[in-house]
Amino acid sequence: MASVRRWVLIGLTACSVLALAYLPPRGVKSSGKSVFVGQSLQATRARQYAQALAEEWRNADAVVHLLEDRQRVKRDFSRASPTMVFRGATLPPNAVRNVETVMDSVWRGLGLGETKVRVTVVIELQRPGSVDTPTPLQDRVAYLTPDTTDRTTCMVSLPAGAYWTLFILGKRDARHEGFGRFAQWLQAGLGPCAFYAAYGTPGRPVRSWLAARNWDVGLYLGSHGIAGERFSSLDLMGNPGFSGFWDAVYSLPPATVACLAGRRRGCRAAVLAGAADEGAIPIPNVILVKRRWWRVQHLLPGERYLGDVARTVGRDRFLSFWTSGQPVDTALAAALKRSVGEWTADWERGFVRPIRLGPTPPLGATVIAVAIAVLVLTVVAATASRRQVR
Amino acid sequence: MSRLLGVLLTVSVLASPVSSQDSLIARLRRQADSLLSAWRDAQKLAAVADSLEQVRATAGSDTIAVGGLRIIANPSPLPLREAAERAWPVIDSLYGSAVEDLPRYPFIFRAVDPDSSVRRTVLHVGVELPWDLDVRASTNVLLTTVTAPHFDPALADWLGAALRPTLRPEDERAAVFVQLVTAPSEAVRGCFLGDIARCKDVLQLGDSTGLLARWYVTPAEREALVTGSFTDYFARGATAITLQNCRQHRDDACTALLQALPPGSLPRPLGPAARLVLVREALRAGGRDAYRRLVASPNTAIEARLSSAARMDIDSLVARWRNGVVAARPKPLTLPWWAGFAAIGWTAFFGFCALRSSRWRL
Repeated sequence: MASVRRWVLIGLTACSVLALAYLPPRGVKSSGKSVFVGQSLQATRARQYAQALAEEWRNADAVVHLLEDRQRVKRDFSRASPTMVFRGATLPPNAVRNVETVMDSVWRGLGLGETKVRVTVVIELQRPGSVDTPTPLQDRVAYLTPDTTDRTTCMVSLPAGAYWTLFILGKRDARHEGFGRFAQWLQAGLGPCAFYAAYGTPGRPVRSWLAARNWDVGLYLGSHGIAGERFSSLDLMGNPGFSGFWDAVYSLPPATVACLAGRRRGCRAAVLAGAADEGAIPIPNVILVKRRWWRVQHLLPGERYLGDVARTVGRDRFLSFWTSGQPVDTALAAALKRSVGEWTADWERGFVRPIRLGPTPPLGATVIAVAIAVLVLTVVAATASRRQVR
Repeated sequence: MSRLLGVLLTVSVLASPVSSQDSLIARLRRQADSLLSAWRDAQKLAAVADSLEQVRATAGSDTIAVGGLRIIANPSPLPLREAAERAWPVIDSLYGSAVEDLPRYPFIFRAVDPDSSVRRTVLHVGVELPWDLDVRASTNVLLTTVTAPHFDPALADWLGAALRPTLRPEDERAAVFVQLVTAPSEAVRGCFLGDIARCKDVLQLGDSTGLLARWYVTPAEREALVTGSFTDYFARGATAITLQNCRQHRDDACTALLQALPPGSLPRPLGPAARLVLVREALRAGGRDAYRRLVASPNTAIEARLSSAARMDIDSLVARWRNGVVAARPKPLTLPWWAGFAAIGWTAFFGFCALRSSRWRL
């Protein structure tokens, strides 16, 4: 009985010591001030409704302009590269020639010449806003793909924004590399139309797959990064050493994250997202690529995925995939001559070291935990081995 | 007859895509027009709703007027009048005659209890502030949220930071002094030593070509820049080999990598504070109309605008900037004469204790 009392006292004392160590005594003030987070300003309901209508109008207006331009614009048969049209300002002839020269070099750089599907690029120069209409589409590129009414024209509506508008008008020198950066911008702007020009109209399964995912794997045919020598959508996520990178990672779909971790099944799922949908392809088929397109990608850096596939497998095998009537996974695996997941996981490793997923306890903590577990098991085993039944 | 029918049929089949496209465009155009008309009506309604919301949000509020500042806020213990009395001279001295329009843009504040967990009503107008802010914090709120007079994108782009009134300009100058003496750049060092042409280079005034060679003069600087700031960026793909060459002290590789950076990515040798101090210096030298002159011609080169604002040539302005920054050298830490003896004494005392104690004594 005396020994039990002693142990109870020891237990209570230990609890008191722990409580003193961990619980602050009464009357202590908080060390810091409470963090006040002010609300951000919200538009009134009426204003939000007006903004939503403006957004709808912008999209509808972009579609109408693309259709009208497709009917109206006369092709420039003297050049193999895209026909250039400027809206928003009348350009002096030398400015037009400068832009056409850069586009010619971009076109040659992509390995394109005379193509069956011709591309028309409408550059929307920035103009002052009007109170009568919402600000026109300036934050996204729109593409009108060939359809039954015109099987040989792919239209691009490319908003120039303030910077490139001034550059095209000759009112501002582009910083540093001038035309090099301008060429990069034009090349990135060609988007899906570059694929149409290079490989023609895709077969129905591929078209349906790409439409279902808004062409996120076919936005860029070039071999460099979409915004410069090495710059891809992965770079927009930041550095893995910072928390912002992980916030961005966990806002992605699970298959995309799994692919970043180098998991083949994840890569396969990320590539084939939308392939099972047998959705109807709308006519006219207008692809609107939003300003922050990298936030809705299923694969990173997906914008160059099909371009890299085409460069890896060669023109003939890519064409067999592109125009195939088979399901996308079968056609793609046949072109790659490997499983889609395996090839894509290897491709992904070329851009990013596989991220680590799941818990990562520190080595010291693991050693301590295992040591405690071994100690407890030893004590229990020793006690059990000495126990006698009387 | 049958041939004629055949021709007619062929023509109608060929023409059908064109006519169907016409009708499609017409239908979409009508839809867009209808949306536009609905948007115009919605805009009018939204303007009325916004105006009503503004009236509702400011109903029962007090209006405080100090100089050109107008503050509308609900009754609370916030020391807004005292804050406005401290903020107004600072705002007036920075923007000068350009603040004439400021009364048209009143501050609208909603003071709220910072410790309450009661759900607050949605904020459509103004800014929310906790009502336990002191005068200094309230003054800072006024200084950072004041509607700045017109500021064009070219100037903002060059400046790299917002030009705001500040209560402690000397801190900004001291920060620039620290940049001048610590930036790993020969050009900055040259500026610190009084070379005004170098100062203009590092402040990005004048010729904007060949910035890499003028900002990072020596191969060691370029290598340090690549390995210090862009290793992760260049470590993959085609640039990985060039990066290795750069690490092996090959300047051509380092230069090629830095030239391949996207536009505007080359780190400036001096932070935005340096350019802010220069603009403040120009405005101080130019008098009450200096700000107006600074923003008067947005298409002119920055150095010409600064020169016009300060009413002096750019070299004199930059020299004045440099002198101001050098004069703002932070005070070095001075120890009293006995501090050294005290430190040695304490060291000796603890050493003596350690030597006296036995190995096993607790």
